[in-house]
Amino acid sequence: MKSFIINRIAYALLILFFVTILVFSLARLLPGDPIQAAAMFNADLSNQEIVSELRARYGLDKPIYIQYVIWLKDFIQGDWGTSLGSGEDVLEMFFRRLPITLELFAGSVFWSLIIGLPLGVISAVKRNSWLDAILTTTSIFGVSIPVFWEGIILIYLFAVIFPILPPSGYVPFAESPIDNILSVILPTFVMGTHGAGLFARYVRSSLLEVLGQDYIRTARAKGLREKSILLVHAAKPAMIPVVTIIGLAWGYVVSGSFLVEYMFAIPGLGRMGVDAVFARDFPVIQATLVMVTVNILLVNLAVDLLYGYLDPRVRVRGNLGQ
Amino acid sequence: MSSSVFQNQSSHRISTHGVGSVLRSIFAYRISCVGFVIILMLVIMAVFAPSIAPQDPNVQDLYHVLEGPSRRHLLGTDDVGRDLLSRVIYGARVSLLVGLISTAFSAIIGVFVGLIAGYKGGITDMIIMRITDTFMCIPGLILLLVMAAALGPGIHNIIIAITLLGWTGFARIVRGQVLIIRELPYIEAAHAAGASGFRIMFKHLLPNAMAPVIIAVSMTIGGSIMLESAAAFLGLGVQPPTPSWGEALRIGYSYLEIVPLFSIAPGLMITLAVLAFNFLGDGLRDALDPRLRGEGKKVE
Amino acid sequence: MIDRTMTPLLEVRNLQTHFFTDQGIIRAVNGISYDLHEGETLGIVGESGCGKSISAFSILRLIPNPPGKIVNGEVIFEGTDLLQLSDREMCAVRGNKIAMIFQEPMTSLNPVLTIGHQVMEPMVLHQKIGKKQAIQESIQLLSKVQLSEPEARMNSFPHQLSGGMRQRVMIAMGMSCKPKLIIADEPTTALDVTIQAQLLELMKGLTRDIGTALILITHNLGIVARYADRVLVMYAGRIVEKATAKKLYSSPSHPYTIGLLASVPRLDQDLKKSLSPIEGQPPDLLNLPKGCAFHPRCRYRIPKCFTQSPELEQISDNHEKACWVDVH
Repeated sequence: MKSFIINRIAYALLILFFVTILVFSLARLLPGDPIQAAAMFNADLSNQEIVSELRARYGLDKPIYIQYVIWLKDFIQGDWGTSLGSGEDVLEMFFRRLPITLELFAGSVFWSLIIGLPLGVISAVKRNSWLDAILTTTSIFGVSIPVFWEGIILIYLFAVIFPILPPSGYVPFAESPIDNILSVILPTFVMGTHGAGLFARYVRSSLLEVLGQDYIRTARAKGLREKSILLVHAAKPAMIPVVTIIGLAWGYVVSGSFLVEYMFAIPGLGRMGVDAVFARDFPVIQATLVMVTVNILLVNLAVDLLYGYLDPRVRVRGNLGQ
Repeated sequence: MSSSVFQNQSSHRISTHGVGSVLRSIFAYRISCVGFVIILMLVIMAVFAPSIAPQDPNVQDLYHVLEGPSRRHLLGTDDVGRDLLSRVIYGARVSLLVGLISTAFSAIIGVFVGLIAGYKGGITDMIIMRITDTFMCIPGLILLLVMAAALGPGIHNIIIAITLLGWTGFARIVRGQVLIIRELPYIEAAHAAGASGFRIMFKHLLPNAMAPVIIAVSMTIGGSIMLESAAAFLGLGVQPPTPSWGEALRIGYSYLEIVPLFSIAPGLMITLAVLAFNFLGDGLRDALDPRLRGEGKKVE
Repeated sequence: MIDRTMTPLLEVRNLQTHFFTDQGIIRAVNGISYDLHEGETLGIVGESGCGKSISAFSILRLIPNPPGKIVNGEVIFEGTDLLQLSDREMCAVRGNKIAMIFQEPMTSLNPVLTIGHQVMEPMVLHQKIGKKQAIQESIQLLSKVQLSEPEARMNSFPHQLSGGMRQRVMIAMGMSCKPKLIIADEPTTALDVTIQAQLLELMKGLTRDIGTALILITHNLGIVARYADRVLVMYAGRIVEKATAKKLYSSPSHPYTIGLLASVPRLDQDLKKSLSPIEGQPPDLLNLPKGCAFHPRCRYRIPKCFTQSPELEQISDNHEKACWVDVH
């Protein structure tokens, strides 16, 4: 198990390294470099001296790989640069907005699980019934509906027609706990829908496969009731393949946060990323991309650990799927 | 990262049938039939838009902006008085075009790369797989936004960006299949008979890896349509005045309280299109991958 | 010796289990009847697909439904018809009064639960004993089935054990509530020949110790000859011959049984006499021939066999067969 974890962490770091290269090159591809952006602060670009001074300040006079190394070193040391738009320190911006987005993440995971798992279990237990057909169709609908359209429809229903929830905006928890909860209900539900659909489908197919296994027949032959067979003998093995799609579902939650924070005007990290893309604010874009990757890698690492915990064959052998 | 995560998606053992039986099994499953019919309708809508649409989608009528449904405008008008129904009908063109072309490119690139990775193995395989891992750990939409910002908006750039995202999935699927098939005796027989590497890849490995690729094509078209409309919703997609569902939704959203149909109609079309391709892909998966069909084992 | 004058432990009457598939109805078990007395070992033999396993699963009502269904018959165990019990009452019988040992030791144990958990599960469930006592008894059971280091094995997972060890665990599980009847479905088929013998001896010994009756399902006539008191020979969902093991070997009466015996090497026979496999294909259960199901492969057939299906008839003490022809 120990070598399994180390293996995974090393792999995550390797991928993170590749991502920083990708991110760095992408940011360099963006039209308009920092010099042009600086023109917004009234720098005189016709003055060659000022331009070369600026280029030197941003390290743009050095070869590209040196620029990368400098950028990476600075980034690791917590110097994420300043936003070209607001002039704020990007690291500070990030940590100020982080709690808001984390709250949205938590909420969407809550919706995904509370909707997806029961739907999948019911579908599997009542397989090939009309209920199963309805639930399966619903879950395909859940993975097909675009986040932004679902958001619009829900805003129309619950903020315009029945005005019980705010159409947009975010109230900090410290300000008013109740308003805080009300303000995140719609955004988190929308973010969690895709995951709920995915979970429902995977739980169904995985549980069906497990229920057809020989060891379930053994459990029946022992005299266990259906409920304890489901809970004791089927639940854990059925969760193993489901766990592997958490990574996939998480990707949708993270990208959902970009759209949802944009349309609900929530000042989180997703909104920061979208605004940065609009403004071509590339210190912010770089930081956003790297941190999104770190986030995804951490979740995948957790998934692997969970996988190891659920499947004793991985736990002992230490390595699976490599 | 975590090859356990990706491996699991790519190495689903999928039974390999010929294309003939693929077509037969499409119709064997009702849900994919529904998807197929919707797709057919969308294609007809896109191709014959000029004959179907009641009005020119680009003619503005500033005296009749943001109107509700009327006899003249069945779905009402948009913010500059264009006929919404006509724009929704024409909008199918952009969505299908982006979905089909970017998926075609993704599939061609991905299949080729996957074949090479799986067949060559070793260091080639390792490098290719690390690259796909890198792409796969950044959510598609976020990478698309950055790329759209880098390349600039417009239909060509959106197609390029979605293709850059899409090939990795195909590469993984094909590689996984090739790794399974490569070990089978008849490939060894082909080797022994002196077939060239190129011939083995395209004549023997590719046809047998086709079933999961066909499923992925259907799913990827749906995903690409979703990505395109998301980019358009953020104003990074096709530029006005070209009619596009995502673009219509972006503007309609601001007038949600006055003319809800302005947001509902184009969004419904996006959902329908994505749903149709997912239905088709799902039916195909059921038909081609017995593992996911969910039938209990028979005794004895 | 088994007292056959007493009421039998298990009476199976006209049991019929069918599978309803898209292609048609498969009559996997098509009206079989037999008795089993306390402490007795009954062998059920036949080719795969003859319904021997399905008939055993039907006793515990472990037929997957759909597509399978017990459509007719009675399974009277200790005076009550198991087919009439509620699901809840049936659960109280399974694993408690009647236990089952399955064919595939590799897949019949839950991969994510420890051996200890799985062995003590029936005791905790049926005998309502405390966890501590259950652990103690499980360790004893594991040493009874001659598993090395039983204490350590309690915390092992199935994948850490060999096939033979897993089957020992299955046997321990089956024995854990001291059942009246154990049904063993090809318990040793998947294992090495040497381990097969060890396990069968073990099962025979354990069942004798606690007076448990045993239904031993196998396609291996050698096993039946050695371990069973009485034997049922099944073909295409029906019993074609029923006899004590001794009689079946000394005077097989049904052409199918004769064919089966001729197709296995026997030590008590002239080695020069060559083995002769039964000709023809096993029956297509969706499309059974008219008359006697065995007639297409039978070399003794007469015109009657094409049209009429023979019933079991007594030919001597403890010996019945279903055949129109007198083969001797």
